[in-house]
Amino acid sequence: MTLRRILILAGVLLILFLGMYSWNQRTRTLDELAASVGLELSGAVLKAMRATEDVVSGFWERYFDLVGVREENERLKARLADLESRLLANGEDLAELKRLRALIQLPVDKSWRPLGARVLAGRMGPNAVLDSITISRGYATGGRPGTPLVTHLGLVGRVLRASAHTATALLLTDPGSRIAVFSQNSRAPGILTGQGTDRMLEVNFVQRDAGVKQGEVLITSGLDGKYPKGIPVARVLSVAPSDYTQFMAIYAEPLVDLHNLEEVLLLEPTGIAPPTDEPEGPPPVFVGPPLPPAAVTP
Amino acid sequence: MSKFRNICWWLFFMAAAIGLQALTPGLDALAVGIIILLQERDYKNMLWLLPLFVLLQEGMGTRVFGGVIVWYAAIIVLFKLGRWLFEVENFIFIFLLSSCLGAAYYGVAWLMAPLQDIPFNVQDTLDKSLIQALFLPFAWRLLIATRHWTMYDEEK
Repeated sequence: MTLRRILILAGVLLILFLGMYSWNQRTRTLDELAASVGLELSGAVLKAMRATEDVVSGFWERYFDLVGVREENERLKARLADLESRLLANGEDLAELKRLRALIQLPVDKSWRPLGARVLAGRMGPNAVLDSITISRGYATGGRPGTPLVTHLGLVGRVLRASAHTATALLLTDPGSRIAVFSQNSRAPGILTGQGTDRMLEVNFVQRDAGVKQGEVLITSGLDGKYPKGIPVARVLSVAPSDYTQFMAIYAEPLVDLHNLEEVLLLEPTGIAPPTDEPEGPPPVFVGPPLPPAAVTP
Repeated sequence: MSKFRNICWWLFFMAAAIGLQALTPGLDALAVGIIILLQERDYKNMLWLLPLFVLLQEGMGTRVFGGVIVWYAAIIVLFKLGRWLFEVENFIFIFLLSSCLGAAYYGVAWLMAPLQDIPFNVQDTLDKSLIQALFLPFAWRLLIATRHWTMYDEEK
C-alpha cells in the first residue's frame, strides 16, 4: 500500500469517526447502547463476583478456621470455633444492620423514596475519567440518571448513566459536580463545586456578609431541583474573602468517606408534592385599609 | 484449536478483566486480548470480540462514546507498525509495544478531554499510563502461557 493510499484511508476513517462522534453527541444513541450492553454485562459479572466473594469468605471463616484442631478436643474446639465464627458473622451482620438503620433515618419527605444499593466498584476502565462509582441498581430498579445518592452521613452524588440493573454515579468531588447548598446556621446560599479526588470542595457565590463560619455544615438547599432539601453535604474548612472575586473563598470537605463506600441509598422521586409548612390555628386577621363601600346601583 | 475451549477462554478472560478493572481504576485489562488476537491473526473471533470490548469499556466508562475506539485503533496501528520491524511473539516486542501504548493512553486522554470539556489531570493520567504500560507485558506473558489449553494435543 502506498503512502498516498494510507493517508487517504486515514483521512476517510477520521471523517467517519468525527461524523459518528458528532452524531452521537446529538442523539446519545451509542452511549445508550454502550450503557445497556457494556454496563449491564460488567454489572452482572461484578455482582456474580461479589456474591462468590461473600460465599468464599463465609466458607473460609466457618470451615478453614477449624483446620489444625487437635483430635482429642476436636468436638469442643469445633463447637467453640463454630460459635466464634457465628459471632463474627453476626457481628458483621450487626454492623451492617446498624449502617442500614442509620441509612433510613434521613431527613427526606414523602416526595423521595429511599432504595438501598450496593457499591460494586469504583472507576472502571480507561474511559472512566470522572470521579464515579458503579452501583447495583439501574433504571429498571430505581437508579435512573439524576437520582441522588446518600448515606447516613450525607450526600454522595447522583446517578450519571444507567443500564437496566447497574448504574454509574457521579461523586460530588468530581469537577463537573455542582450542588446548590445552604450553610446550616447562617443560611447563606452557594454552589458547591468538586475539584477532583482527594481535593477540597469549593463553595462559590457566597456573599461577603454571609457570616459562614469554619466547621459549619453545608446542606442541600433544593433550589436546583435535583436534590432534596436538607441533606448534609460537607463541612466548611476555611472561610476568607476572595482575592479575585466579590464573593467569599470557602473550602469544604465531604461528610461521607467516599473511598470506603459499601452501601448507598438512592432517593427516587415519588411524584408526591412535598408538604407545605402551613401555620396551625385560624388564619390571621386581615390588617389593611377598610374595604371600599359596596357599589350602589341606581 | 478447540472452538468451544477458545470461546470459554475468551469469556473467562473478559470476566477476569472486568474484575481486575474493578480493582485498578483506569486500567484497560482487555487491551491485552486485542494484542493476542492480532498475534494469532484470529480475525474471525476479533469480529465479535472487538465490538464487545468497545461496548464494555464505553459502558463502564463515563466519557462520551468514542474514546475507546481511538484507543483500540492506536493499539492496532502500533501493533501493525511493530510487526514490520520485530518478531511479534518476542517479549521485547511486547515490552516496546506496551511502552508506546502507555504514551498512546496518555495521548488519547489528552485528545478526548477538550473534546468533551473535561478537565485534564496530568498527574493522574501519567500514573494510569504508567500502570497500563507496566501491566501489558506481564499480563501478556501470563495469558500466552494459558492459551495452550485451548489447543488440541496435536496442535501443541
